[in-house]
Amino acid sequence: MFSLDPATLLVLVPALPLAGAILTVALGRLLGSKAHWPAVVSIAAAAAVAVTLLIGLGREVLGMVHDDHGSASAAPVESITTLWQWASVPDAYVPPADSPGIDLSAKAAGRPESLPFSIGIDLRLDPLTAVMLAVITCVGLLVAIYSIGYMHDDPGYPRFFALVAAFVFSMSMLVAASNFLLVYVFWEAVGACSYLLIGFWFRKPTAAAAAKKAFLVNRVGDFGLAVAVFLLWMTYGTLNFHDSLTSPVPGILGAERLADASGYVAGAVGTAICLLLLLAACGKSAQLPLHVWLPDAMEGPTPASALIHAATMVTAGVYLVARCAPLYVACPEALTVVSIVGATTAFVAALIGTVQNDLKRVLAYSTISQLGFMFASLGTGTLLGFTAAIFHLVTHAFFKALLFLGAGSVMHSMGGVIDMRRFGGLRSVMPITAATFLVGSLALAGVAPFAGFFSKDEILASLHARGWPDAHAEHHGSATHDSQAHLDLDASAGKPLWLVSDSRGGAVREAISDTAAAGTYRTLYWMSLFTAFLTAFYTFRAVFMTFTGPVRVPDEAGHHAHESPPVMTWPLVILAVAATVSGWLLFSTHALSNFLAATPSLACPAVAATATPHAFHIDLAIQGTLAAAMGIVLAALGYLGRRSDGPLMDRFLGPLETLFAHRFYVDEVYTALIVRPLEILAMLAAAFDRYVIDGLVSAVAGIPLAAGAAIRRLQSGLVQRYAVFGAIGTLAIVLALAWTLRP
Amino acid sequence: MNPSPLVLDGLIVGAMLFAIGLVGILARRNLIVMFLSAELMLQGVSVSLVAWSRHHGDWGGHVLVIFVLTVAACEAAIALVIVLQAFARTGRLDVAAWQSLRESNLPRVGDRELPANDDTVMEFPRLTPAGVEPAIDEDELLQREHV
Repeated sequence: MFSLDPATLLVLVPALPLAGAILTVALGRLLGSKAHWPAVVSIAAAAAVAVTLLIGLGREVLGMVHDDHGSASAAPVESITTLWQWASVPDAYVPPADSPGIDLSAKAAGRPESLPFSIGIDLRLDPLTAVMLAVITCVGLLVAIYSIGYMHDDPGYPRFFALVAAFVFSMSMLVAASNFLLVYVFWEAVGACSYLLIGFWFRKPTAAAAAKKAFLVNRVGDFGLAVAVFLLWMTYGTLNFHDSLTSPVPGILGAERLADASGYVAGAVGTAICLLLLLAACGKSAQLPLHVWLPDAMEGPTPASALIHAATMVTAGVYLVARCAPLYVACPEALTVVSIVGATTAFVAALIGTVQNDLKRVLAYSTISQLGFMFASLGTGTLLGFTAAIFHLVTHAFFKALLFLGAGSVMHSMGGVIDMRRFGGLRSVMPITAATFLVGSLALAGVAPFAGFFSKDEILASLHARGWPDAHAEHHGSATHDSQAHLDLDASAGKPLWLVSDSRGGAVREAISDTAAAGTYRTLYWMSLFTAFLTAFYTFRAVFMTFTGPVRVPDEAGHHAHESPPVMTWPLVILAVAATVSGWLLFSTHALSNFLAATPSLACPAVAATATPHAFHIDLAIQGTLAAAMGIVLAALGYLGRRSDGPLMDRFLGPLETLFAHRFYVDEVYTALIVRPLEILAMLAAAFDRYVIDGLVSAVAGIPLAAGAAIRRLQSGLVQRYAVFGAIGTLAIVLALAWTLRP
Repeated sequence: MNPSPLVLDGLIVGAMLFAIGLVGILARRNLIVMFLSAELMLQGVSVSLVAWSRHHGDWGGHVLVIFVLTVAACEAAIALVIVLQAFARTGRLDVAAWQSLRESNLPRVGDRELPANDDTVMEFPRLTPAGVEPAIDEDELLQREHV
């Protein structure tokens, strides 16, 4: 497979879309209605390269697993490509005596007193990056193709494709970057692309406001990331993920530090770093309390919403937390916070989603909710939790992109109307969209055998394992999987075998057996299960309101009310296939979780110690399916067929309906607490500027004016008068000189 | 060292020349006279230079004066051209003719009242004309009128 050097191929993944973006910018006007070609072709090539890399790396890793029956699954696989050295400052850092991860033997061997600060443009290839790259470029390609139809005859046609290509570049750099500073740079870059795409129709005031809101809310998270990077530098003396020859300090996620149980700081500093990283992730992934920007971001073009605000960019937070897994498992409290934030967000967003009437907003809240699921899963701190989160990320990317593109197709044919109360019965008008949308909804609702079922099941399983550790221990203890290398039979009695198996399990192992934490995770499990029910309800509410019942088409649709062109429906069909089969394929073969387990961050002993044998939990599957079925039945009772246009269910909620419809008044609270005081402050500052600062400047400017007005009277035009003044002046100078030079 | 009487004389003459020139500049309105007064001041300074040079017994002052004379010659030429041009503009040599260059909102400085012209026509005795009246060149007539 690797006829070319993987390092070269890895560089191509971001480089091609960058070239496409530059070409589109340069030739956009020239190409006119063909402006999509550079972007589509470059993203297609990048997707081919990314898939090649994924397959090549997958064969390598999984081949290794098969050889050694799973015991080698923890062997980390990574390769680093350094393009060039970006910054290099000698003598920038003097490590403290107790600096974690710098072993004493090396210190005794004459480690330099002060260490250099060096930032390279380093790209890394490991399983996590390979999976992310493949998802980003593949979904990006389908969205770009879809946009050819969706964005046609838009005046900003070239601009849109340039931005999409620039986004694919930034996002692939973000997941391929191998140090925190580069991650920060491209974290900002994807934010900028998101800002520009939300405000794509910048003449529309709501779009401009939404773009500004997204940017400002993300600032809060980015602040967290910046401070986290500072803290990481202060604590570890490096920002690299990998061990590097140019830096004597082992990389934060490098093999040397991962192998060392004391390689990571816990306590206040470690928790602070983790919580700041979580703040950053909350901003980018729209988790509570920074979720307010994502629903408004739906003002952008629907393909941009599908790509950026559903499938890829918003998962950057999930990626970041998964990447920093070793930092988190050193701080169990931070992990618990991650889970609580995630599950709460999932629950709250699902509640809000049940009463939204705007199809895209339903999907937006659903995205927030599903991202919450991922965070809840990450917060379990187990290998199952991390892989489940990434598994859900992958399947979610497929089915949520499918749903968004389907919504875009509906919007396209309805002449821009997206309010579900104004159309209905569209299954006969646009059959392909209806069918693919139904597939996406089944996947989102978690109905077997669609993708969402399996990934959601794994997430519930990871939460369940933390909530009922004893039950799981028995379950797995009786299982006959020999892939569990950490089952030590000499462990102390009375404790679950797999939990005390490895002395290097560290903090998480203790936290797992902590009953208080178990109580928390039990609550979170029930919350997630209820959220799964809500998910099925709001998804099928949207399906029934849009596609069933008597045909109703708004006036704006005009002659557009028909199925979308093939260039738009084919991506839908492809995504529908992916949303159908990806879950079953990845789950039944355990390919994804085995593959991801070879990521250095997830292969560290503290995480690997929590590995559990792959199992299909039939009890959890029944609970999940029951929740989904109840949701669908309830939605059918309320909205199927003839009831599709009546707000029948909303009446039952009473005052809660108002609460949900107003999104728990979060926006209003932020307006009152933050926006208004800031506006008053800005008004005060403006007044101070206008009257005090400007007044001072004007006063200074008045001095020469006044002096000029006084002296101007001397300009009499009479030469003799000038001569008199000259003579008097000279006389004065001479007299002054005589005075000073007097003996 | 006390200055010798000769030096003192030279300085006194120089100061007098300078003072006369200064008074001339301040008191007269005719451009040419003002220019002459300026020259007078210049020469007053030159005289004192020569005197000091002699007093100190070096030739620097003398040489400088020679240079001053040369430069003054050039300067005189330029100044006269300026005076001519100024005259061509206004038709007058009076420097007060240029007071319109003052700041626009200042009042004009007027001359003091001139005594009224004596309008009585003097009768002069005339000789009986004799001979042939010579033909007057028209160009010359034009020039006369102009002067």
